[in-house]
Amino acid sequence: MTLLATEAPANGRGRGAIEFALLMPAILRAGALLLFAAIFIVFAIQSPLFLAPGNLLSIVSQSSILAVLAFGLTVVVIVGGDNALAGGIDLSLAATMGLAAAVYATIVQLGQPEMVALGAALAAGLGIGALNAFSVVVLGMLPLLATLAGMTIATGLEQLISKNATILVDSALTRFLGGTDAQGFPVLAYALLVIAGLLGLGTRYTPLGLNMQAVGGNPLAARASGLGVSRYVAGSYLVSGLFGALGGLLSVSFLGASSKGAGEMLLPIIAATFLGVVFSRRFVPTIAGTLAASLFIGMLTNGFQLLNVSSYWVSGIQGVLTLLVVAATTTRPRA
Amino acid sequence: MPTGSDDAVLELTGLVKQYGPVRALGGASLLVRRGEVHGLIGQNGAGKSTMIKILSGLERADEGEIRISGERVEGLTPAEVLTRGIGVIYQDRMTISSFTVEEALFYATPALSANGVTVNRRALRRKADEIIDRYFGVRLPRNALLRDLTTAEQQVVHITRTLLLDPRIVILDEPTAALARKEVESLFRGIEAMRRDGITVVYISHYLREIQEICDRITVLRNGRDVATLDARTTSIAAMTELMIGGAIGSLFPDHGREAGAPVLVARRLSRRHGFHDVDLVVRRGEIVGVTGLIGSGIKELARVLFGLDQADGGTMEIDGAAYAPHSPREALAAGLALVPEDRRTQGVGLPLSLRENIVLASLDRFSRFGFMRRRAETERARGFIASLRIKAPDETVPAASLSGGNQQKVAIAKWLCREAALYVLDEPTVGIDVSAKAEIYRLLRDLADAGRSLIVVSSDLDEVKGLADRVVVFHRGAVVLDAPSAAISPSGLLAAVVGGRAEEAHDLARH
Repeated sequence: MTLLATEAPANGRGRGAIEFALLMPAILRAGALLLFAAIFIVFAIQSPLFLAPGNLLSIVSQSSILAVLAFGLTVVVIVGGDNALAGGIDLSLAATMGLAAAVYATIVQLGQPEMVALGAALAAGLGIGALNAFSVVVLGMLPLLATLAGMTIATGLEQLISKNATILVDSALTRFLGGTDAQGFPVLAYALLVIAGLLGLGTRYTPLGLNMQAVGGNPLAARASGLGVSRYVAGSYLVSGLFGALGGLLSVSFLGASSKGAGEMLLPIIAATFLGVVFSRRFVPTIAGTLAASLFIGMLTNGFQLLNVSSYWVSGIQGVLTLLVVAATTTRPRA
Repeated sequence: MPTGSDDAVLELTGLVKQYGPVRALGGASLLVRRGEVHGLIGQNGAGKSTMIKILSGLERADEGEIRISGERVEGLTPAEVLTRGIGVIYQDRMTISSFTVEEALFYATPALSANGVTVNRRALRRKADEIIDRYFGVRLPRNALLRDLTTAEQQVVHITRTLLLDPRIVILDEPTAALARKEVESLFRGIEAMRRDGITVVYISHYLREIQEICDRITVLRNGRDVATLDARTTSIAAMTELMIGGAIGSLFPDHGREAGAPVLVARRLSRRHGFHDVDLVVRRGEIVGVTGLIGSGIKELARVLFGLDQADGGTMEIDGAAYAPHSPREALAAGLALVPEDRRTQGVGLPLSLRENIVLASLDRFSRFGFMRRRAETERARGFIASLRIKAPDETVPAASLSGGNQQKVAIAKWLCREAALYVLDEPTVGIDVSAKAEIYRLLRDLADAGRSLIVVSSDLDEVKGLADRVVVFHRGAVVLDAPSAAISPSGLLAAVVGGRAEEAHDLARH
């Protein structure tokens, strides 16, 4: 005779934990939205310039660079998973932007055709992406370390190429991207909307997008379902490199020059991606969420400038918010 | 021999797989006939999981041959396995918890999209609804997140996902391990429906009664080889067990101990709110006391109070005449107890550490002198445990990660047994451990008692309590309803006391 009083079924997670997990996104989302609204209102009251249409449009075009870069990171995190340690992350994005901008500016300055400069800038981004993909997928390095190496390499290359100087650029492409349409609407804002729209649809509503999320959600399950997990992960770093280059082009167009100190964009990129998580129902990175968070960060920067508050405050606030959101996603119970 | 059978839909021949120093498969074969439900049984570490991983393309065999419908296949990938009509439902860790039911059903399926760009949800939904309805007769909310579903519901999603691919063979790896009896019945109806539809099923389970109930034929694996293929309906559970362990099981429990000595632990009118009340308990020197009861009977809460995880609200405890009221496991250890908690799997083993390091980890003070480790003493002790518990490992220096799950559990237990104490409290010491390892653990516990130590074994395994313990204490709804020498209790009397005469609970118990 075998008799056994069985243990409770395995889904015996504590009830408290479940409620916490369900409530956490709602609290965070509400909190984030309230914060958005509050900051918006404070800026509007404090500075008469803030609500001027020109200023709002300038926020959008300023944010477009950050958003495009953060889209790259968002793709990496969607496919690589949002585990804080072993998940997907690309620290080289800001440096890639700087490298692509320097490559583009230098080649244009040398009098080469614009198409050559454009191609070289995109190739530089893809190159850093390919390097990251190789380190992560083939060498099996932690993305955090692999892309840190990629970042250092990109920064070094940028300084070599630009001789650590600002290079002025004036080309048809930068004039177009940096300009406005007939109604005075900035082209950068259009570019942002088009890129966000395409990428948002692609990651959310296509089989490819669903499979990307599956790979990030549970690589083992994805592999058992026949998905080539390595290929998806490698692809995500290539996409990220491409978006780094794209960000470089937008930045050159916005500033009219390649500029030093691209590395300062790193924290805002990470902040935008992980803050964006609070805009999704299930607390995962999405293109729409990243877009909203990028605009929020752009608004912060702009508002503080108008109020003559030191821009270091923006860094501090971004850091604190990122810490909060990453802490919340890390402590979230995982089924 | 297998090769050449016309109705063989799946043939694995002579599979060999080596993981570092551990040989998981040493020439295992499996022949599955078209349309049957084929059971695959074996102890922990016998090679079942490895066989399934090879068959599903997640791992590659070092040697051996795989034939699907007679055709030899090599270098299987998970994608190819799926296109060849084999669906695998894994035991665990395959849930994408942030997905909705619909997303989990449809991702990575070729039918998801006709053109590769847009998703044809409507057709898929219809098909998914049909399948869920037909095989399980339930409805699942499409937009619920998987992490909010029960284990059984998640399993329905996994199986439906597999069936959406129109498989010819479905492999279920330990599908009932986390299910309640009612859910098992529903799963079995699903399997019967698959059988009617001509789908071949390979069913892997520890629960031999379920194997008997649902399977046509069984293959038994032992030590990485197939030792027999049997007719499920005419083979007794005893015969299956014998094949699994390679010998008779009469000696599962050692003989009971001698006369018990003086009281070591005395609890009087011990109470804990929402747990148990007015419990009197005496544990004597050289005695094993088995504490048992249903879920909610208070035995878990008693274990927590003994461990110092919770504090009693009323009553007293004494150890060797001194008051005992631990506020933390640390205090319990300081009072001379050794605790073997139930969740060993998560807390018990340091995977990258060697067996030796794992085994001495909880008793470092005994193996160090002036702050330095005494390597030789450690090694001797570790080797002793590897031998006495028959931990399957080449030697004591290999990392715990290289062992099978069951053997890791033995290491976790060895760690606590290594810490010599006057009183051992063990919570479910053999859950998830195979039959022969159980026998070894029972032998070891009895040796401890014979050496004059006292043991409290909190367990919901009635066979274990009755077979192992000198005295049995039964909890029911927070009160002790039976406290008697186990020799004086009949199995049915024990069951009656445990369930308090309630018929439906007795039925649920009989599942195993």
